Amino acid sequence: MSGAARFDIRIPIGVLFLALGVILTIYGVATHSDVTLYGRSEHIVINLWWGLVMLVFGGAMLYFGTRAHRRPLHSAAGEDTETREHRLGLERE
Amino acid sequence: MTHLTPIDYLLMLVYFAVVLTVGWMLRRSTKTSTDFFLSGRSIPSWVAGLAFISANLGAQEVIGMGASGAKYGIATSHFYWIGAIPAMVFVGLFMMPFYYGSRARSVPEYLKLRYDEKTRTLNAVSFAVMTIMSSGISMYAMGKLFNLLLGWSFDVSMLVAAVIVLAYIFLGGLTSAIYNEVIQFFLIVFGFAPLVFLGLRAAGGWSGLQVRLAEISVQRGFQPGALTHAWRYMGDPSQNPIGVEWFGLAMGLGFVLSFGYWCTDFLVVQRAMASESMAAARRTPLIAALPKVLFPFLVILPGMIALAVDWHAPGVGSHAVSAAGQGIIPPKIDGLTGGPLIDQAGHVVLDYDLSVPMMLIRFFPAGMLGLGLTALLASFMSGMAGNVTAFNTVWTYDIYQSHIKKGASDEHYLWMGRAATVFGIALSIAAAYVAASFNNIMDLLQLVFAFVNAPLFATFALGMFWKRTTGHGAFIGLISGTLAAAIHHGISLAGGSVPGVKGGYFGAHIIYRSELGQTFWTAIAAWVTCFVVTILVSLATRPRAEQELVGLVYSLTPKPVAHDEHWYQKPSVLAVIVLTATLALNIIFF
Repeated sequence: MSGAARFDIRIPIGVLFLALGVILTIYGVATHSDVTLYGRSEHIVINLWWGLVMLVFGGAMLYFGTRAHRRPLHSAAGEDTETREHRLGLERE
Repeated sequence: MTHLTPIDYLLMLVYFAVVLTVGWMLRRSTKTSTDFFLSGRSIPSWVAGLAFISANLGAQEVIGMGASGAKYGIATSHFYWIGAIPAMVFVGLFMMPFYYGSRARSVPEYLKLRYDEKTRTLNAVSFAVMTIMSSGISMYAMGKLFNLLLGWSFDVSMLVAAVIVLAYIFLGGLTSAIYNEVIQFFLIVFGFAPLVFLGLRAAGGWSGLQVRLAEISVQRGFQPGALTHAWRYMGDPSQNPIGVEWFGLAMGLGFVLSFGYWCTDFLVVQRAMASESMAAARRTPLIAALPKVLFPFLVILPGMIALAVDWHAPGVGSHAVSAAGQGIIPPKIDGLTGGPLIDQAGHVVLDYDLSVPMMLIRFFPAGMLGLGLTALLASFMSGMAGNVTAFNTVWTYDIYQSHIKKGASDEHYLWMGRAATVFGIALSIAAAYVAASFNNIMDLLQLVFAFVNAPLFATFALGMFWKRTTGHGAFIGLISGTLAAAIHHGISLAGGSVPGVKGGYFGAHIIYRSELGQTFWTAIAAWVTCFVVTILVSLATRPRAEQELVGLVYSLTPKPVAHDEHWYQKPSVLAVIVLTATLALNIIFF
């Protein structure tokens, strides 16, 4: 059998974007009055705003990923595939 | 050179840590060769779809499309809107039923089922060599870029990237590669969307950009709108920066090259083959096409903006405004004089490949710069991972299992897949060093691959839609197509090029306006030759019995029936949405 105990892709995406978002947001808050730093980004404190966007995205991914995790992992279609592959001798186990 | 701050490095480290953790956590669910090479055929379609475009979204795409944006303007989006999108719709609607339905484990294996062993081996060997080479070229480009931008050591940055990719594929196989491709997809989107936003703001919006690019267009000897209209100047090759007319563009790029790549290249098709069901496999390229329609705004626009903005901004003092460059794109440096490189017409040659990196440096402060560079690194790495996973599968199933060791245990082939990952990456590193020392050898190899690839779609289309096509027909057709490409390339030359690697080695009988024009017509010559020769040889040879071709050929295969799909999951509905959006964009940017 294959694919057992595989985790939902949305979990690592959520973790990554949450972490990146937190770092950027904190850095943005700490540097928001630095005119030299944000001169290049059209005077927008891009670290803060984009950090917040990433935080929200990461949080949403993590939420949906962990919620969906309780579903059964093997879909009917997946098992059908396995059986057929075995019948055709394409997989040696 | 730009110096990164600790915050930038911190963001990169977080990404590396997540990537390696994903590989480590997937190792337990990678027990059989099907798990390793095909993700146990259990990937949901949206994940496979995002991996489908990300596998192609390597450095060549991100850096190259930005470069082309600066060179050709919005017409670069033809690579998407008449190139990739129609081909992706076609592979989902019409070809996936045979790839997935035949239970082939690779594209070459489909050729074996449909035709014969020799056609498969020809395809498998050329594909295996090609993936290693492109992975090597991509690593070389990465090492060079990060050396130039940040002063990182060429050897160290390449080795670190290679070791990380090796680790996560070795542990989790294709699933690991696919998961990381999806992560990279979101990183590219989140890293580049603010770049386009800030760039457009600085350039005065789309209308400001149009005004500025009109001046540049006139300087280059075109009509003012040549850089901001996709179709208007396509009537005459001398009127548009691509240097090709609409027929060569539509046939060469839109039909032959794009269908050849998106419909037959195992690197992308493998992602769809890993889907959990036939319906999911058919949806994969269609779901991939949805964001792909909008990608020109993410990867081409930054290149166009780079022409239109300058370095004047508070806090951007480190980059001397180079009088020889244009916008923020620096000139290419002449190796002999150390000054800007000048072409035969007396114009300065711009280093277009630096358009996107310069945009990152120009607009992103510390913090966001780290995110943008992480996205760039991620695209290099997942491009490499895509090549390596396609290579280890083709090597193990189509070369090792069918020619070297038949009938071994599944554990043995799983072990071989892991071993192939190690030597595939080792060979890529070797190829990167070859690219670093002999630039022309790599140009030559890429040329040969273009010859090998151009006729492929004729072989697949005939195989899937004409039951009379025979193995001998396919094999001889492929070889004739490749020869035709080499001959056409040998008798043609792009204006301003010298005979040699650029063509014309049999005398320059046909002169094209640009190298792209020459490339497109070379592809057309190869495809037509392969198509005609395959038909003629097939008619002269004995066809296979019809019952052997069930599931492999359109007319002998029952149409896939979908039972429990919502309306928005139906391939036909998705196809109509994608094609309508593409048509609308073509009209808006006509």
